[in-house]
Amino acid sequence: MKSVVTSAIASADAAGRFPGAADLQAVQGGLQRAAARLEAAEKLNAGIDQVAQEAYDAAFKKYPYLTNEGEAGGNQGKKDKCLRDIKHYLRLINYCLVVGGTGPLDEWGIAGAREVYRSLNLPTAPYVTAMQFTRDRACAPRDMSPQALTEFRSLLDYVINSLS
Amino acid sequence: MLDAFSRAVVTADTKTATIGGGELDALKSFVSEGNKRLDAVNAIASNASCIVSDAVSGMICENTGLIQAGGNCYPTRRMAACLRDGEIILRYVTYALLAGDASVLDDRCLNGLKETYAALGVPTGSSARAVNIMKASSIAHLKGTNSPEAGGQRYNKNEAAQGDCSALASEAAGYFDRVVSALS
Repeated sequence: MKSVVTSAIASADAAGRFPGAADLQAVQGGLQRAAARLEAAEKLNAGIDQVAQEAYDAAFKKYPYLTNEGEAGGNQGKKDKCLRDIKHYLRLINYCLVVGGTGPLDEWGIAGAREVYRSLNLPTAPYVTAMQFTRDRACAPRDMSPQALTEFRSLLDYVINSLS
Repeated sequence: MLDAFSRAVVTADTKTATIGGGELDALKSFVSEGNKRLDAVNAIASNASCIVSDAVSGMICENTGLIQAGGNCYPTRRMAACLRDGEIILRYVTYALLAGDASVLDDRCLNGLKETYAALGVPTGSSARAVNIMKASSIAHLKGTNSPEAGGQRYNKNEAAQGDCSALASEAAGYFDRVVSALS
């Protein structure tokens, strides 16, 4: 999976050389940024249930018709699955924060999502609303440090872009 | 290829769990000890050709039949191949040490190595001995325990900041052991 460390190794390996000063510098740069990312991952991990629930509530508040009979949130089972999917995106964001790249989201969240949502006749707008709400609700320094929040928000934006 | 971070992600994904608590603490210490790791990689990489040539020479000194006619390091063309392989193995060990995970070593170096050596008639006992010598001298460079007495003219002082590198040394030793067990 792509990260600063694996990219540096892959380029050294392609050239058949030992990790040189430039490779080690690249890795060090990645590690310096890692502290903020890991902080965001930790805070997200601690509050993921609550964050997902608030995001879910925001989506259904904006699109109340979803709970109508036959719609995407028409019964409790469907609602539970919506909450599960929001939590799924947040879990992948947690992974991306740990890795320092968008690999987990790309491979496990975004690839094929369009086809799945289309075949199940699911609207993506509520997911966008949920992610937007999370992005705007998160606040520094209440939830995490400003740098950590920047990393978290950029991944939320990444999901929003992929869904819109 | 995985590193310590993506390894944690792949492990967590099999449980559909988020990463937190103990796993995150381990990664945090990976980050805070990061400079130490880079120094360790640099200590091995900077002395790579010395480590490799010493290991191959040592292997031959212990078993001089290797450079006599019919031996596996005779003529120089085959000894050159041996030096090249030693360098490749050491290179993948430094990659694994940099990543904090053995997957790059396994996937790109050890996978099928034993079968290749069997097909080419390379004696795995001698290869394993050379790897073990590389292990000993790499660890000495890593921990800064190489001495002018042991190094002679080729002694190269490690100028990196001194500190406790025992955890990294045992991690690196583990990667060398992995090579040996893959060969035998």
